[in-house]
Amino acid sequence: MGKLMKYELRKTMFSKAVLLVITGLVEILYLAGVFLKWDKGLGFGIMGLVLCASVGIFYIGIESLLIWHRDLNTKQSYMLFLTPKNSFQILGAKIVENGLSLFLAGVFFALLAVADWSIGIIYIGGLEEFISVLQDFARSFNVNLEIPVWDILIAFFGCIATWLLMVVTGYFAILLSASVLAGKKFSGFVSFVLYMVLMWADGLILDLVPQLEDFKLQFGWIIAVSFLLSAVYYLISGWIMERKLSV
Amino acid sequence: MLECREITKTYGRKTAVDHVSLQIQPGKIYAMLGPNGSGKTTLMKMAVGLVKPTSGGFYYNGQPVGQNSRREIAYMSTEPYFYSWMTVGDVGKYYKDFFEDFSEKKYEGLLKRMELTPDLKAKALSSGMMAKLKIAVTMARNARVYLLDEPLNGIDLLARDDIIASVIEAAEQDVSLVISSHLVDELERVADEAIFMKESRLVDVCGVEELRMTKGKSVVERYREIYGHGGEQTWEN
Repeated sequence: MGKLMKYELRKTMFSKAVLLVITGLVEILYLAGVFLKWDKGLGFGIMGLVLCASVGIFYIGIESLLIWHRDLNTKQSYMLFLTPKNSFQILGAKIVENGLSLFLAGVFFALLAVADWSIGIIYIGGLEEFISVLQDFARSFNVNLEIPVWDILIAFFGCIATWLLMVVTGYFAILLSASVLAGKKFSGFVSFVLYMVLMWADGLILDLVPQLEDFKLQFGWIIAVSFLLSAVYYLISGWIMERKLSV
Repeated sequence: MLECREITKTYGRKTAVDHVSLQIQPGKIYAMLGPNGSGKTTLMKMAVGLVKPTSGGFYYNGQPVGQNSRREIAYMSTEPYFYSWMTVGDVGKYYKDFFEDFSEKKYEGLLKRMELTPDLKAKALSSGMMAKLKIAVTMARNARVYLLDEPLNGIDLLARDDIIASVIEAAEQDVSLVISSHLVDELERVADEAIFMKESRLVDVCGVEELRMTKGKSVVERYREIYGHGGEQTWEN
């Protein structure tokens, strides 16, 4: 599956390189704003970085679905389906690559934000100001000594479960449309409509989770059902690809 | 051995392949003949699992075709299918990554013979050059069965003989080679068996030499009988 992932990553390299270049340019703008005390540059830099992070991460998620649509509806599909790999491996590689890309992009922008924030405070307010901010931060931790492990875990798995369900539902919608419409021009639109319908159905299913008094337990259930739904979509998709899909 | 049993593929009301049963024996070169729309391409695609049959099935060594058979069956599509970012060299690396039977040395040799260089962008190739690239990367595999769909499409008259020769040379003994084409006379010289497809059906499978010896006919003449004027009566009788 590693080789499949390698080529999935290669397919998205161009857009990631573009994102990196744009982020680099707005980073320069931000740093120029900080070091030259240039307010406009600072403002545009911050705005640009926030946009790069939010739009960039959103696009990485969407691009995976766009590539899947192209993989199923053009002759490029042969590159995947002529290899001695089964459908579950092909789909699995796409999911894992997309998850890793999103995670790494998230880490990259988080680290960049911390670095930029530190540079900004040190340069504008001086080292003393930076130390004072850090002390405030540490104090707030001391006041609230309990690290909310469960909350962090629920947030972490909640993000993964939500992303996974969205992306696997997307793959399933595109696959259904490709299986029936076999590369017709309007298959993209049909995929989108199907995706919306399936996401709505996912919502209905998740709403069936009974309301519990324990907030953590309630979220735990929702996360478990999301994972279960994702697994069902994945298995049905693999089955359709193995038995029914003609490319 | 590759075989299909009563295989049928329909797209809505249109039947692309209609109850075809066929056996591809090792060590033989097959010419798959028939006009456009006769079902040749669909049949080949079903042999590698790109198209799923409506009924019946394709089997390789007794097992339904799929992940395992793709390790030993090399297919060359008539359409270009490489990723747009690929160079000729990248195509080779991709095949090397996925097919254990892919020989880099053989690929380099075939590229040289086809006058292609690894730095060329695949999407910038002319149709003739693209056809050569597809042949080179497919024949660089040491597969047991080769299915070549219209390999001479887009290749000029002078280069065809050389292409056919390099295909035959690249294929080792005891492998099966199925070449689909409407250029009947070009294949007659190299084929052991001729498969005739017409209107989604398998019309005839005959030995080229046998046809010559027993009926005194060439494949071209048989082709004319089947597809020319009055051909319908000829093959039905």
